[in-house]
This record gives sequence, structure tokens and C-alpha cells, in this order.
Amino acid sequence: MRRGHRIGSRALTALVFLFLYAPILLLIVFSFNKGNSNIVWTGFSLDWYKSLFQNRLIMRSVYTTLLVSLLATAIATAAGTFAAIGFYSLRRRPRAFLNTVNSIPMMNADIVTGVAMCLFFVAFFTFWGDFSVWFNGVQSVVVLPERLTLGFGTLLIAHVTFNIPYVILSVGPKLRQMDRNLVDAAQDLGCTWMQAFWKVILPEIKPGIASGALTAFTMSVDDFIISYFTAGSSSSTLAMTIYGMTKKRVTPEINAVSTLLFVTVLVLLVIVNLREARAEKTGEERRPHPAAQRLSRFLGSPRGRWVSRGAAGVLTACFLISVTLLARATNAQPVVNVCSWGEYIDEDLITRFEEETGIIVNYQTAESNEALYSLLKSGAGDYDVIVPSDYMISQLIEEDMLSELDYGRIPNYALISDRFKGLTYDPEERYSVPYAWGTVGIIYNTAMVAEPITSWSALFDDRYAGNVLMFRNSRDAMATALSYLGYSLNTTDESELREAFQLLRDAKDRGVYQSFVMDEIFQKLEGGNAAIGVYYAGDYLTMLENNEDLAFVVPEEGSNWFMDAMCVLKNAPHYDEAMAWINFIASTEANLANMDYLWYGSPNQEALEQYPAYYEELYGEELDQETYDIIAAPPEVLERCEAYLVLPLETRKLYNDLWTELGI
Amino acid sequence: MSKELIRLRDLCMAYDDELVLDHLNLYINDKEFLTLLGPSGCGKSTTLRIIGGFTAPLSGDVLFDGVRINDVPPYKRQINTVFQKYALFPHLNVFENVAFGLRMQRRPDPADPRRKTKLPEEEIRQRVLEMLEAVSLKGFENRRTDALSGGQQQRVAIARALVNRPKVLLLDEPLGALDLKLRKDMQIELKRIQQQVGITFIYVTHDQEEALTMSDTIVVMDKGTIQQIGTPEDIYNEPKNAFVADFIGESNIIDGIMVRDKLVQMYGRQFPCLDGGFAENEPVDVVIRPEDIDIVPVEQGQLTGTVTNVTFKGMQYDIIVDFRGFKWLIQTTDHSPVGARIGIKIDPDGIHVMKKSRYSGLYGDYSSFSDEYDELDTVEPEEGGDEA
Repeated sequence: MRRGHRIGSRALTALVFLFLYAPILLLIVFSFNKGNSNIVWTGFSLDWYKSLFQNRLIMRSVYTTLLVSLLATAIATAAGTFAAIGFYSLRRRPRAFLNTVNSIPMMNADIVTGVAMCLFFVAFFTFWGDFSVWFNGVQSVVVLPERLTLGFGTLLIAHVTFNIPYVILSVGPKLRQMDRNLVDAAQDLGCTWMQAFWKVILPEIKPGIASGALTAFTMSVDDFIISYFTAGSSSSTLAMTIYGMTKKRVTPEINAVSTLLFVTVLVLLVIVNLREARAEKTGEERRPHPAAQRLSRFLGSPRGRWVSRGAAGVLTACFLISVTLLARATNAQPVVNVCSWGEYIDEDLITRFEEETGIIVNYQTAESNEALYSLLKSGAGDYDVIVPSDYMISQLIEEDMLSELDYGRIPNYALISDRFKGLTYDPEERYSVPYAWGTVGIIYNTAMVAEPITSWSALFDDRYAGNVLMFRNSRDAMATALSYLGYSLNTTDESELREAFQLLRDAKDRGVYQSFVMDEIFQKLEGGNAAIGVYYAGDYLTMLENNEDLAFVVPEEGSNWFMDAMCVLKNAPHYDEAMAWINFIASTEANLANMDYLWYGSPNQEALEQYPAYYEELYGEELDQETYDIIAAPPEVLERCEAYLVLPLETRKLYNDLWTELGI
Repeated sequence: MSKELIRLRDLCMAYDDELVLDHLNLYINDKEFLTLLGPSGCGKSTTLRIIGGFTAPLSGDVLFDGVRINDVPPYKRQINTVFQKYALFPHLNVFENVAFGLRMQRRPDPADPRRKTKLPEEEIRQRVLEMLEAVSLKGFENRRTDALSGGQQQRVAIARALVNRPKVLLLDEPLGALDLKLRKDMQIELKRIQQQVGITFIYVTHDQEEALTMSDTIVVMDKGTIQQIGTPEDIYNEPKNAFVADFIGESNIIDGIMVRDKLVQMYGRQFPCLDGGFAENEPVDVVIRPEDIDIVPVEQGQLTGTVTNVTFKGMQYDIIVDFRGFKWLIQTTDHSPVGARIGIKIDPDGIHVMKKSRYSGLYGDYSSFSDEYDELDTVEPEEGGDEA
């Protein structure tokens, strides 16, 4: 009985640890995978770490992360320590009150803190704008900048803010453990308050300060949510970059960077815990290492004191200089803030553009058109160039959020195929330059279906029950049903929409759908966990690399095709740089590189024509027509496809209601 | 010898609107051992902290050698302090603790009087070692302070203060954390040190026995005011009011009427005494110390009562006797059983008559005998500055 009991509890413990650590272990293991799959092990390699260190987007965000974490830790540690001393010297009731106030930010949901800070900064900037205009108007001695934006400064302020409570929390108990009379005793023996602080308080609370600083640093390094809302368009922390990279799929490169982040945080935590464990053993004699003794004796001697002072001075100077340089670099150099989608550019292009023009590109990503839209509306998305999809472009134009482009400075616009000019979302060609396009189709595993699939009916077919993956967003999911029924994707007819919805719901009730997914589809189809899915053509080619049984079809009934185009926001702070960027990306060279990287269709006529030759030169093999047609659907396929338009408000509301009714 | 060194003039202090010092006036002579004695919250620690400069009074002046020092910070006063629980610096060893004050000192450079210079290391070393020897801690220089016993820590604290050669040493309940035996030894030791260094000691305690043993002058305080100032003998033998009588030693305090000089009436009976200077038939408080009462056979007694409680105390018995509902404490070497009727006799010099005060009727009844003993045993040492 007893023995069984013990085995049971051991098994339970093992299970708990398995669930806790297996995912991380898996992530670490696959960061050493040779191939780019997270399921199929193809051999050990350090390639992903190598490519990680060559990825300037990642390296720049590592730099940002380290800089913001170190600065925030330093500032928060100083501020938090003094705040803790202030709290400590208060009487009991106000102290208890302040301690509660202090712990609220730690308990508070990060998302609330993040959104609140973002709102606060934006509100302040608006106020500042009005104030500086007035101020610059009444005098001309000091010229205040009229436009402040979210960026490194706000990111730093946010990090300092959420770090301070942790420092106070770990310094406070050390102060309370300290004999209240120590400070009095020091002053009694000839110290001013400040000397008492350095000579008595500091040595007493040093362990608390150190663990507070380490905690703050750890919190800063792995914070995502608050950074996301306060970093603006010009800075991106590592966590934000990783998040942006996962939009499409989790590549082993992400595994590699996550592994490094995990190890960093782990090491910091171990240090914190070791320190605490050692601090508990204060009763035992602590004998410093002989070398440490010699060093401290040297540093205590007059000569040594000069050396240590000098060293401290040099370090401080280096720190200040690097901060100033960084501030200057970010201020003086021309920049352009771009917001696009995850893994939606060949990153060499960024480097090449920066080298050619000297303009720094701050490249960020949004999750979806809708997320981008709300980011812009909140005032947090302070970008120059965005790459929204067709229907979103018309909505932004409608709401007067875009700036007209100066096509005179985008000569490469002439290279865009006429087929892709003057489309419904921007009929007068005033606001946009096409970036990439693609089709939606059915991706299926030939080994798991009886016959080639040609029709949308496969998505509603009981034969594939439990093996079908459906879109997890209303517009795309409804589009499959509308296409099948032969209705327009942009229909506003309620009965047609209800009919399409009924089709979806019946299939769902009959258990046709295994699940509703977005990017999870990669893992599922590659791993053979589902037979049929619906997704973008370019992504199919990525999946094909990991599973050769997959096939793609744009169904005979027609489908959705989309165009993403570069637009510039109204009042963009770097309009000139934005024009240069757009022109660069519109070039044939850039389009070829992007087409090869994305496997989405290029709008550039030359690039479309030259791609097969480009491919052959690059990979030494011929590009087969079938693949090319998937990347860039031939005109006859495009003809059966329809682009999305903005739907009227009541139709959007109907979509919402129906989607809720479906209950995903 | 009695040159005035410190004068406190009209000191008032309040924490959270609660008055802890109420127009306190006091002068302290040079080389005097003065004790501020009183229960928790009486304002004695606050007074000490004001002298040390750790707390600023709401109003009133602190004069040192005739100079107002209200605004002089603690580190510039020629005063050092031995704190409750010693407040030794845990990160420094014994030597460095004692040397702390000397390392902070600056004095004019002999070579260039405009510049200030630190004390030479050799002088520091010598003075610290001398001081450690004076408090019998020779050879303990390199010990960690938390590896010392309570008494040793106490002596480090004293050495750390005295090594600076202050004019005044403040001691805030310094023996509170020691056990009884050690406390007795340290009382003698402290008195010896004071006489040896020949400076003023201002000592704060709630322990009346400690005060009586060491002090030249005792200042009894309650509720922020001084109740009585005097030598230990004065305070014990001639308490000014019921509070002092009760706080210092054991006292039976009885309502009486001063019939005329040297005759006081209690329980309707008249007792000869040595006091005078009251109005005729003035209501007074009469103090009778438990050891000044003789037990006699009932028929010889000035008063008769019933024994209700007997406690053996080693040197004597503590006997509680009920006199018409008012219970007296009598200390005697004779045993009387519980329930016995006894007579008592009091010599005239055993009777002390006091004017009525706001403390009249509050003390001196031993009805709640055992409770009162418990209370005395469990009085907590005051937290510095937390008297409010």
C-alpha cells in the first residue's frame, strides 16, 4: 500500500517536472537541429546560432535590450534604494500604505501597466506639442522639439518604473532587519547623514540591493508586454523581436535566441538564489579568498584608492560617453520607421539599404491588419511606412490616415506591372506602392487523401472529418464558404452570408474540423497531423520543404487573392526617408530577393520575368513551372480570384455576430 | 565639581499630537552621573535623544556650556551615546567598531593649519587598544561583533563611545538586554568607568534599583514631566508624591490628615511623625515603606489587621495584611501564617507625609498584589524614539 503510494507520488512529481520542462528542453534541443523543422531531427549543427549572430535585427534588439536593462537597473536600483530608506523612516501607518501602493504595480497585469503607460505618454506628447509650439512662438532663445515620439526614452522610463518596486521590495526587509540605532550611532560618532549612508547603511543592505538589482535586470530582460506598448516604432527589445519572428512559424533560429535568453535568465536566477543562501549563513565565519584579501588591502592603501577611484571614473566616463554617443547616433542619423509583418522581408535588404543611403531602418512587425489598425488608432504606432493589405488600405484612406506619395521620387514605381496598378483599394494611384501578393488555397497531404482536391467542397466533406484545418478568423473562414457557394467574397447580402455561415456551422457540428488555426497550421500539416488545410500559397512552399507529400490548389470555384502595399502614414516624421525606402523596395533587385525569401508574388514586372533565371543562378537548378505558378499565380488563376474590400459597418457587425455564434 | 554643563529649558515634544515632553526644565552638572528614571513612555528616552541631537524638540532650548546647540547636528556635539542593544556595526570587527569615531575625526594639519587632516593610524591604533584594555576586552580586536556575548558587546559599545573623549556620555537603557547577574556586575563597572574617565554620564532606565545603585542624581519622570530631582537617598526617603513613592521601591500609601506638625491621622488613629509644614488638618498622602513596619502582638499594635498572603523571598517574607479593606505590604523576617490577626507598630521616622497630588489614590494599595509583581517583571525596555 505504502510503497504504491510512494511510487504514485513520485510519478506525479515526475509528470509535473516533465510538463514544466519538456517544452523548454524540446526548444533547446531543436535549436541545434540542422534542418529548419521543429519536429524532424536532421542532425546536430550550430548553424542557427551562427545565423542568429549574423541577423542584425536580432543583434540590434539584443543591444537595445541590454542597454535598456542595464540603464533601467542602474536607475531603478538607486531610486528604489533611496525610496526604501524613505519608506523605512516613515511611521508605521504611512509606511504600510506606501508598501501596499508599491506592490500594486507588481500585482497589476502587465498589459494594464503597458496600455496605461502608452496612453499616458501619448497624452503627454500631445500636451507637449501644444506647449512647445506656444513656447517656441513667444521666444526664440531655446527651441523645443515640437514632436516627441515613443522610443528608447519612453521604453527606459517604463522599465525604470516597473523595476523600482522590485528593488524596494528586496531592500526594505534588509533595512527592517537593521538595528534602527545604527544610523544614529554613526552620526553620533561623527558621520553626516550621507557618510552614515555610505559607511553603515550601505554595507548592511548591500545584499538586498544586489538581489534587487538582479531581479530588476531579469525583469527588464524578459519583459515583453510593457515594452511592446512603450517602445514605439524606433526601438525593439529582444522579446519583441522574437515575438515578431514567431508570426509565421517558429524557426530554429527563434529556438536558438530563446535558448540564449532562457540560459541568461537562469544564470541570473541562480546567482540571486546563491546569494540569498549564502546570506542566510552569516553566522559562520566568512573568510575571503587570500587573493581577494590582497586586492582589498591594495584597494584600501592610498595608492590603491587612487587606482580604484580612477577605474571607477573611467568606467563612468565610458558609460556616459557610450550613452551620449548612442543618443546622438539615434538622433543625428536619418531614420525610417517601418512596420510590416513577421518574416516578410529578406533582411539583407535592410542592411543594403542602410549601407547605400546611410538611413537607419527601424523595422518592426505587427500581427495582423486589425492589430496594426488599433495600434495606429491608439497613437502608439508612430511609423513612417506600413504594409497593410488591400482592404485595410481603403479603410485607412477612407479615414484620412495616409499621406499621398510623391511618385516623382519613386521612379521604380514604373516597374510595377500594370496589372497591379490602380486596383480598387487605391484606384487613383495616390497612396500605395504594391509590395507582394498571393493567393489563398487548399494545402493537402497527398498521402492522406484519396484523390487530388480541386474544390472547396473538401473543406465541408465528411470523408475528411477530423482532418481539416480551418482559418481562425471570420473573414477568411467565411470566404471559403462564400467561394464554395459561388458568392462574392465582399457580399453584403445577409441571406448569402447566413447561408455560408450555415455551411461552416454544419461542418463544424459534424466534426469535420480538427481545429481552427492560424500559424499553427505549419506544424500540423508538416507533421502529418491533419490532411487538409487552407492557407497562403507562399506558406505552402515553406511547408513543402519539410513534408514532400503536401500539395496546393487554388480551387476551381475561385478564391481570395491579396495585395500588400507600402503606404506612408499622415504626418510621418521621416517622409523623405520613407520615399527612399519605398523606391528601394520597389526595385527589381529587391523584389527578386523578397520573392525568393517570401515565396509570395512580386508586383514588379521585371522581377516576375527574371525570377526563374535568378533562382537557377542562386540554387543551380531549374525552377519548375508548377512552383513558379504557386508563387505567382498565372493570370487565368488570378481571374477566378477576388480581393477583399472594406465591408460596410453593419456587415462587419454581422460577421462578428456570426463568428461569436460559431463559438470557436 | 558642580559646574553646570547642560541645561534644558522649557522643552516640549510631541509625537502624533501626543505630548511626550511637557515644558521640561533640567540642568546637568559636569562629571555628574545623572539618571533619567521612569516608566515606558515617560519621555526619558526622548529627552536623551534631544540631548544627543537625534531628535529636535518642538520648542525650548538645549544649552551646552551656555551655548544653544539646538541646531548643532549630532556629529558636531561633544557627546557620545551608548545605544539600546548597542547598535554595533555588524560589518566591522571589534577594532574597527571602536576606531569608527576616530577615523571620522579631522583636525587641523600641524604643517598647514588651514587644512584638516585625519588622525594618524598609529594614534588611532593606540587609543583603540587602550580603550579596549580599559573595558577588559584586550585581545578581542579582530573578533566579529556577533561572536561576542551580550556583556562583551556592551563593553565594545562603551569603548566605541568613550574613545572619542566626549564631555558627556549618554546611555540609553544599556543594560536592558543583559541577564540579572551580568547587569549587577556592569552597574558597578559603569560606575567605575565613569569615575575613571571623569565625565558626565546621563543614564536612562526604567529600573529603579539600577538608578539607586549608580546615580549621583536621579530625575524621576512621568508623562513628560519631572516628578522629582534628587539624590538616591532623597528620592527614596522623601518622595514628593505618590507616583515617586510607588515607583521607587515598595510603598504603602494611605490617605491621611495632618492634624498638626509631627502628628498625622490614619484610620482614625493618630501617629507621631517627623514631618511638618502642612496646614492644620490638611488631607495628605502618607507613605510607609514595607520594611519600616514592625509586627507586634495584636494588643500592642497601633493598628490590627489580617494576614491574607505570604510570600517567602529568601531574606524576608512579603506579607499582605488587610487593614479594613486596604491592603498593606509588610516585609519582615518573622513568619505569620495566612489568616492570623496581627498588630503593627510604626516608628515616627518610618512615616513620610506628602502633599496630595494628581497621583493620589492611584498607588500604594496591594489589593492586586500578585498582578503588580508580574507587571514589574515584564516591563519591556522602551524602543528608542518610539515612545508615542
